[in-house]
Amino acid sequence: MSITIGPLHGRARRAARIEQLHAPGLAPASLIYLLLATPWARQWLEATMSAHMLVQIPLLAGCGFLAASALGEARQARLLAALGGPVPCLLAALLASSYWMLPRALDAALVDPLTELAKFLTLPALVGAPLALAWRPLGAIGRGFVWNNLASMLAVLGWLYLAAPVRICNSYSVFDQTHAGWSMVWLALGLFGAWLGSLFVRPLSGPNRSQTRVSTQEGQAWTT
Amino acid sequence: MLTTTHTTTTDDRGAQTGVVAYLFTAAAVVLLMMLFGLLMRLEQAQLIEMGPQPFYKLMTLHGAGMVGIAGIAGAAVMWHFLRQYVALSTGILMTNLALFLAGVVMILTSVLLGDFHGAWTFLFPLPGQSMGMWSTQAAALFMAGLLVIGVGFLLLHLDIARAILARHGSLARALGWPQLFGRDDGKAPPPTIVASTMVTIVNLIGLVVGASILTMMLVNLYVPGLQIDALLAKGMIYFFGHVFINATIYMAVIAVYEILPRYTQRPWKSNRVFLASWSASTLMVMFIFPHHLLMDFAFPKWMLIMGHVIGYLNTVPILLVTGYGALMLVYRSGIRWDMSSRLLYVSLFGWAAGAMPAFIDGTISVNYVMHNTLWVPGHFHTYLLLGMLAMVFGFMYYLGKPDRDAPDGLLDRIAFWCYTGGTLGFALSFLYGGKESVARRYAVHLPEWVPYDKAGAAFALLLISGALWFMLRFFARLGQTRHDHARTPEPASCPAVTA
Amino acid sequence: MPCGDRMSTTHAGAGLLRSLAVSALVALVGSGVLWWGTDGARAFTAEAARRVEILRAPRVLPAVTLEDQGGARFALDAYRGRLLAVEFIYTHCDSVCLSLGMAFRQIRDQLPAQVGGQELALVSISFDPARDTPARMREYAARFGADGSVWRIARVPDPAELDALLEAFGVIVIDDQRGGYEHNAALHLVGRDGRLSEIRDLDEIAAFTERIGDLL
Repeated sequence: MSITIGPLHGRARRAARIEQLHAPGLAPASLIYLLLATPWARQWLEATMSAHMLVQIPLLAGCGFLAASALGEARQARLLAALGGPVPCLLAALLASSYWMLPRALDAALVDPLTELAKFLTLPALVGAPLALAWRPLGAIGRGFVWNNLASMLAVLGWLYLAAPVRICNSYSVFDQTHAGWSMVWLALGLFGAWLGSLFVRPLSGPNRSQTRVSTQEGQAWTT
Repeated sequence: MLTTTHTTTTDDRGAQTGVVAYLFTAAAVVLLMMLFGLLMRLEQAQLIEMGPQPFYKLMTLHGAGMVGIAGIAGAAVMWHFLRQYVALSTGILMTNLALFLAGVVMILTSVLLGDFHGAWTFLFPLPGQSMGMWSTQAAALFMAGLLVIGVGFLLLHLDIARAILARHGSLARALGWPQLFGRDDGKAPPPTIVASTMVTIVNLIGLVVGASILTMMLVNLYVPGLQIDALLAKGMIYFFGHVFINATIYMAVIAVYEILPRYTQRPWKSNRVFLASWSASTLMVMFIFPHHLLMDFAFPKWMLIMGHVIGYLNTVPILLVTGYGALMLVYRSGIRWDMSSRLLYVSLFGWAAGAMPAFIDGTISVNYVMHNTLWVPGHFHTYLLLGMLAMVFGFMYYLGKPDRDAPDGLLDRIAFWCYTGGTLGFALSFLYGGKESVARRYAVHLPEWVPYDKAGAAFALLLISGALWFMLRFFARLGQTRHDHARTPEPASCPAVTA
Repeated sequence: MPCGDRMSTTHAGAGLLRSLAVSALVALVGSGVLWWGTDGARAFTAEAARRVEILRAPRVLPAVTLEDQGGARFALDAYRGRLLAVEFIYTHCDSVCLSLGMAFRQIRDQLPAQVGGQELALVSISFDPARDTPARMREYAARFGADGSVWRIARVPDPAELDALLEAFGVIVIDDQRGGYEHNAALHLVGRDGRLSEIRDLDEIAAFTERIGDLL
């Protein structure tokens, strides 16, 4: 892919400086993480399949994302370079999140404390953090690609939970499973709609550049 | 950091090579698929005898191949002109082509070696229930091939979206909504941007839906216990397929918006009516697919009525705006008629003519008896051959011309009449065949319809010879024009004048 | 391009190489973990996992005391030396337990006539001891034709023992919020050595009976 990393840097650095000013930082990430780890939160969020899969697990990954984002531009770049760039990071996030989408992994996390511990460690470290490191350098096309695939795969996963002829988690009822399946389908639609919608409303940043017919500038139009 | 003009000629050459590679791929595949189509018509005309399995294999390849290259050829037209306004990535262009070719190899393997012949529409549950005619692996390979092609187009559209956003800020601006809903300051984006934006929006949605149903069907192939609701599957497949094939003509029509103004020296303005019709079609093109499902009484009634109504409505806006625009552009302009301008002009007629049978067939009561006949291929062959493909051929003549005043040869003119006459005859033989076979219910082909098939085969031969000449002419001229792209960069339509 | 020109081609080449190497490593380890975590793509659910696990390593069962429909108390261990088919039910159940009952009846009926209670026994264990009194269990037994010797209906009166038994079998019982339970239903086979040796799905009655026939 010919996405140049070069011209991004100047702007990315500026963005990072701004981000550091407003950065949620490490403290909120740790706070959310500790809250999630309390027995009450665990019991509450693991009581239903939907909350377990679609609230607790994404929040855990989100903690890792926030924490890695709080590292600061330079350290992030060094870490990313050491890890071999955005592709391995994305791969790690994909594989690790796939594991925690396995019905038996959900069941195991409920009955086996070691598995629960592994869930609390790997979701931030192997899903959230690598995604945070890879996100910006992925480029607009890479991010769009990830977003589209996420929506598509989430919808398919939701269908799998709805179409499964048996109860796929011993710890959750069929009703719960159906609810989780529909939640995933709606979430997929919502995520895709939000992404596409955001492309409609993004205002022009900076002065109008329409004097140039062709700008070789890398489009940085969508970022999140 | 901003560069005000594009002077990087290596970049231009790479881009030009990319467009030519697209056109070459499209031409090669289209020719082969036309020959497959001819064989099918000969079989129906009972002039050759191949039997059902080879027939359906050819039909599967013909469908998948034609839809695929319609996308590729449309993308070539769009990309070539869009690149004059926004910075597109040649790398992504070539990645799409590479993925397309990989997908083509997978599909060919599936059909030729694996005997898959469940039609390009891979309608659920047919691929998984072949009654031993093809293996699960063959069906999986076919659908995986479509998935790979879809990934390529997803990347291409993401790049286009990125580039348009970088230039225009948002898709709403690129569709000209500030001018449409606010004060028309005459600074609406040029037609090429508007059309590319519309195509990108609908194709992104279509591709995500297509990828989802393909993945679901792949899972179902190997774990049949995970059932798919057949109506949901049909709806998703038709949505994806219909959006994708419709999008090809909205890409190709950019050739009309860009090339006719160069001939007439009058700009094509993005006025309010133009913007409104494109925005309306952006929405409507996604909701007309149920007009192919009107026979399916099992579908919810609201969906069918929606297909009926929106099918009617969507026939009008862009077609009318473009047709009227082209007439106004040409009227008393002293336009020089050559192959390119002629093909582009004919393409608008072909588009309109092709839309009419769809309009008729989109009526529920007609659809009940018509939709299962050759009337439907009559409709889409008219608008794809005489509309979409004529636009692409017009574009090829435009690209291929060594200089402005190079005259067309006699053979060019003969080929033009072979192509247009052949296509008209070919399409009419389909339409008459369809009309005569009302109401057809089963997969039988009655002897009474054979004369139409014979005429169709003869006309097919005529149109193929015309198309073959167009292609030969383009590639023969390539050597002359490769270094001469400096001729094209001034899009006359760019500085839109206030209405 | 402030940063771009700093990057020499060799630098970029090394970066690409590293990216490829790490990607390959991640893919290898990741798919390895997924492979291991699904028992070689065979078990995606906990239910499938427990079946694969039992086949690989038959499980020792805890010592529990049961009470049957006649009110007689007996140890699970008393079945040692015989094949034992086990299912878990509760008598108020109006869905899957009915299928389980029917399945056991079919299994019993398909056995050769000469096979008596000395070679094989069936026991339907209730995990709802509070409601499933002997009288209630007698009713259930009568409904499916459980004779009380070859096929018994029994409950585990001691809650701690019940928990231990359910855990050993890998059966999870959850409240369905409508006064009943949802539970994983299957046909369990305990070998002569008293270990849980095979678990079959409810619709695999033929295979289950065949397996018993092989072992008899």
